[in-house]
Amino acid sequence: MINLLNQTYAYFLDNQNRFWAELGRHLSLSSTALAISLILCIPLGIWAARHVRAAQYLITAVGSLRLIPSLAILFLVMPYLGTGATPAITALTILAMPSILINVYTGLRGVEPAVVEAAAAMGMTARQRLLQVEIPLALPVMIAGIRTATVEVIASATLAAFIGAGGLGIFVTRGFALFEPRIMLLGAIPVAVLALISEVVLGFVERWFTPPR
Amino acid sequence: MLRRTTQLMTLALVVILTACGQAAPVAPTTAPAASPAAENPTPAAESPTVASTPAAENPTAVTEPTAAPSGATIRIGSKHFTEAILVAEMYALMLEENGFTVERKFSLGATAIAHEALVGGDIDLYPEYTSTGLQVVLKQPALPDEAAIMAALRKGYEEQFQVTWLNPSPFNNTNVFALTKEKAEELGVVTFSDLVAVSADVRLGGPPEFPEREDNKAILAMYGFDPKFSGDNYVQLDSGSLRYEALTRGDVDVVVAFGTDGQIAGLGLTVLQDDKNAYPIYQIAPVIRQDALNANPQIAEILNAMAPLLTSEVMSGLNWQVDGPEKKEVSVVAREFLVSQGVIK
Repeated sequence: MINLLNQTYAYFLDNQNRFWAELGRHLSLSSTALAISLILCIPLGIWAARHVRAAQYLITAVGSLRLIPSLAILFLVMPYLGTGATPAITALTILAMPSILINVYTGLRGVEPAVVEAAAAMGMTARQRLLQVEIPLALPVMIAGIRTATVEVIASATLAAFIGAGGLGIFVTRGFALFEPRIMLLGAIPVAVLALISEVVLGFVERWFTPPR
Repeated sequence: MLRRTTQLMTLALVVILTACGQAAPVAPTTAPAASPAAENPTPAAESPTVASTPAAENPTAVTEPTAAPSGATIRIGSKHFTEAILVAEMYALMLEENGFTVERKFSLGATAIAHEALVGGDIDLYPEYTSTGLQVVLKQPALPDEAAIMAALRKGYEEQFQVTWLNPSPFNNTNVFALTKEKAEELGVVTFSDLVAVSADVRLGGPPEFPEREDNKAILAMYGFDPKFSGDNYVQLDSGSLRYEALTRGDVDVVVAFGTDGQIAGLGLTVLQDDKNAYPIYQIAPVIRQDALNANPQIAEILNAMAPLLTSEVMSGLNWQVDGPEKKEVSVVAREFLVSQGVIK
């Protein structure tokens, strides 16, 4: 095991430029996908929280996207989007959407109605209520969803290597093709570490925004 | 919470499994070296240059070539691309025609994985390319002629793995670089050497293992390709069809192609000439575990009889039936071809 890690390190030293380039690509694929899902899902979640009946259909529909394996999405969108980063980001966005949307919705629905009423009684507009009362109170749950999505996206961005989008997955697929665990680990270990870091960091953020009880 | 924990555990598992994967395969490859089979090489090893079969020189085996071997089960594997699967399917059909039961374990990934499956006893035989076996598996230098390659392969495989090679098919599926006609004209490239001149700026698309395989590394260095060509600018694309898809869409400029890929003729691509004759000959042949062959010596005769049918023209034509617009099933193409040749009913 130690020996293998040494070999991985030696392979890393020989391929540093490529490693940092792929790490960068991995992070940019993941963060782009997460950004797009946030832009789509936060307004969608807010809308859904105001339209409970329609929300059930919306959430079921988005949730069912999660049932399609990401690899299948990659190949399904390829005829339209080609190879490279675009189909990879599309697949990762689809993967990230359900957790974010569901948690934005649940977070907002979980806000005590009495608090919102009190805010209205104080003369706050709907916009003020949303931005100053509802979202701050829903934030811990929303961040929990973002945290889940982030870990999922970072781990799944490995698949991008299948379709020429690069990322740390290229070391995993190359190691797999050559049966060279040292190459595979150069992809697998950093992906695991990235996922852990984002888990821990977003965990802190989540606690930061949780009101003390 | 539960989902998060599961994901972290999965990640941890991946790391652990990949780590274990290194230690495990070493044992089965080296351990059987002491078994009696190693001291008892098949006749083929002693006269490798003659296209003879082990069975032909074994008097007990020649008696009844068509005798049904009482339904013995043979497990056939293949690597993960059209031609490998197609040839493996033909082997399977040939053996079934002769009374064997065949278990198909196709699409085992790249060379290393298929080889591990064979040596580890998960499969009995799979089609492999001669120079790939020599350079990638045995890690020996390239050899110029077919007979020398076969001799080195049989010797090396029998000594190290208790595995032997049956006779190869005539077609040569060597590595080439292919690009669209327009792109070739635009870049003004005809040969590998022409490509060297622009190699720092073109985007090459190819399979995951290409940049790391010793044979490719040696050849790229010999020609003097820019390190970026198979390094920073390399676009890794998992399967063959995906590579051509990326090429025709313009996502890459050049692809790593195999000489018998159906897409070359089918899409009217330009193949660059290997002007220094750097790539050796890649013929396909069954690699078979010796214990499986000894138990069923007829296999050699059956598959050797079929081998000469597969010429370069035949093979690229068959590949195109699968990869081209017809999108035929591999099993259908293999069966139709063997029936048309009158070797199966």
